[in-house]
Amino acid sequence: VVAASRALAEDACELVEVDYEPRPVVTSPRASDLALMRWSRQAGDVDAAFGAAARVVAGRYALPRLIAAPMETRGAVAAYAPDVDLLTVWCSAQDTHRPLAQLAHILDRPERAIRVIVPDVGGAFGSKGTVAPEVAAVAAAALRLGTPVKWTEDRLENLLAASQGRGIEGDVELALDAAGHMLALRARLWSDLGGYLLTTTPVPPHTAGTLITGCYDIPAAQVTVVGARTHKVPTGPYRGAGRPDAAYMLEALVDAAARETGIDRVALRRRNLVRRFPHRTPTGLEYDSGDFERCLDLALKLAAEAADRIPSRGTLCGTGVALYVERAGGAFESAEIELRPGGRFAIASSSSPHGQGHDITFAQIASERLHASLDAIELTFGDSATAPPGVGTFGSRSVAMAGSAIAVAADRLLERARALAADALGADPGAATVDWAALAGAVDPPLRVGAEWRSANAFSSGAYVARVALDPGTGTLTVSWLVAVDDAGTLINPLLVHGQVIGGAVQALGECMTEEAIHDTEGQMRSGSLVEYCLPTAAEVPPILTGEVQTPSPLNPLGAKGAGEGGAVGALPAIANAVADALGGRHVNPPFTAEKLWRVLHEPAAAGRS
Amino acid sequence: MRVSIQINGRLYAGEVEARTLLSDFIRHQAGLTGTHVGCEHGVCGACTVQLEGEPVRSCLMLAVQAGGRSLQTVESLAGPGGELTALQRAFTEHHALQCGFCTAGFLMTADALLRDRADGEELTEAEVRAELAGNLCRCTGYEGIVAAVMAARGDYADGVATPSPADSGA
Repeated sequence: VVAASRALAEDACELVEVDYEPRPVVTSPRASDLALMRWSRQAGDVDAAFGAAARVVAGRYALPRLIAAPMETRGAVAAYAPDVDLLTVWCSAQDTHRPLAQLAHILDRPERAIRVIVPDVGGAFGSKGTVAPEVAAVAAAALRLGTPVKWTEDRLENLLAASQGRGIEGDVELALDAAGHMLALRARLWSDLGGYLLTTTPVPPHTAGTLITGCYDIPAAQVTVVGARTHKVPTGPYRGAGRPDAAYMLEALVDAAARETGIDRVALRRRNLVRRFPHRTPTGLEYDSGDFERCLDLALKLAAEAADRIPSRGTLCGTGVALYVERAGGAFESAEIELRPGGRFAIASSSSPHGQGHDITFAQIASERLHASLDAIELTFGDSATAPPGVGTFGSRSVAMAGSAIAVAADRLLERARALAADALGADPGAATVDWAALAGAVDPPLRVGAEWRSANAFSSGAYVARVALDPGTGTLTVSWLVAVDDAGTLINPLLVHGQVIGGAVQALGECMTEEAIHDTEGQMRSGSLVEYCLPTAAEVPPILTGEVQTPSPLNPLGAKGAGEGGAVGALPAIANAVADALGGRHVNPPFTAEKLWRVLHEPAAAGRS
Repeated sequence: MRVSIQINGRLYAGEVEARTLLSDFIRHQAGLTGTHVGCEHGVCGACTVQLEGEPVRSCLMLAVQAGGRSLQTVESLAGPGGELTALQRAFTEHHALQCGFCTAGFLMTADALLRDRADGEELTEAEVRAELAGNLCRCTGYEGIVAAVMAARGDYADGVATPSPADSGA
């Protein structure tokens, strides 16, 4: 419905009556008889390993659907200029590339007839990567009506209709020898994909499947992922996008193995860590670098400090330890740098920010390579008319990929500038620095250099420890403290990385405490406001002690990996394992609401159902 | 209906429907888009403004309810040349914003809190966290926001925090 004001459009929507014929409803991915996506992988002799195992440990785990809930909801403005046959779409998105390609496809228009502008964006966390169907509808309406059309969804619409995250269940089994060496892993995952596929819907369950062996050197694995159709909105990437899912199930299983074998949970982890790189996983990934044990050691040291300093109040306390590995980088991005009058630099990057701080990080990279002041560098993003080619901002990849493109472009610019300065200014061609202002005045047209950067995935990693206290009278969970140690490779801007770690960890805290997109047995969403879908506030956040390990990635000139998702990946299994520890080894799936934990404590039969 | 509201010392008058929210009046009629709208049901706090000095959620008020009254939006904080206040500078220094969508609401809540407590007893971190619990941030995990508010306490000690021209453009 398009109207002259939002209020009128909402009034007119009330006049629309839709007759639905109810069909049998499917809300559980295990109960679905239709797979929209399947993926499986086997490497090594899994059956023989399980047959020869001294101990087989099995677990059944589930993560509910979550909602990314960026503070700015989705929205778009579309305007068509018939004189030049140009459709311009301003949208709240993670980048320009995917909206451009997808709108061209949906509207059957050439990309050159569409301009996508992504201005300041109020958060996304994966949920604004693929173009929303609503944006395509807004664009189609603008084309048909010949007038600009604007759409800003309200919070109800965001909670009900935007793609949701997680929604995965798994049966996982681990075969161990008598000494506690992991021999093989079997995993069967069911992902709740919803009613239809958005372009990114199958990505998180695939990522979960590939990362299911985590930080451990497990020689054989058999993994099956079923992406099942259910009668809900589609799922898609939400911060971590499959990485927390894999880490949660694997780390819970490793704790179960420690309890069943009597081997200390840290010793069991230490015994099985991947120690040689590059490491090829049985699921087909190649870990480029890392030092998982150093992350673990640092996390344990910080945990000992936290335990000394911060009291845990409550009679039922528990500690959880978890490691994670995160797929980052990959594919390509590009950059263009132009020398401007006065020795200033204009850099166009293919990767646009929505809160990560690309401008300062990228300026730092260029400043260091060009031996130029930070103030002399200006970044531009987010306009398909000027952005160089790229894929987008997602998957903790911007520094490793777009940052490397800027580094390569800057190196090329410096090399050409030295030669030009020698010619035009009589400068020493061997000089490390260039008089940029003088050179800018001497070259015409302006000096301009582009670069594209491509590489395989880099793998970040980390170790987290959580301490929790449960109130047996009410079931209320308190996270007393959290330790976060991340290895995101070489860091460009530690303050921004720290912000990413804390922000991600607090999203995991919300996932543990309250967050769940609840659907009833008829498939109706029951979490239609921020009262029902409850986000963590400043008052719930415990002390978080952070530490960093920096093993440079050999895959790019910066040694960078990725930092955007580690907090959301590592904190979830650490807190979940701490809750299980507090419950005497009974594992419960998040969110750990007071009602759920009270029932586990007071109705022992509920433990298996939760 | 005709309504006139004093916003940041200037009178804005216009025709509104009875159902027009104060947040929509501020953004669409007064054109002050620094106030952001995050949920329209009073939970996220992004739309917080100060009505006669008290923080209120402008999405939970109708424009007509604010008729004849005086309110301050985030635009009132910085000086005429864009000079940031001590609180705003502290937000920058402590990495208290990432996407920035919630920031206006946090600034208006924190500014009211710090004014209220300027000559009272010391604010603790736990109190700041409790006082900010009515505003949601999805990016930062609140660490930088709490640190910024703690850091800005001293600048309100004399009762008024004024923009510092020396820091313009910082």
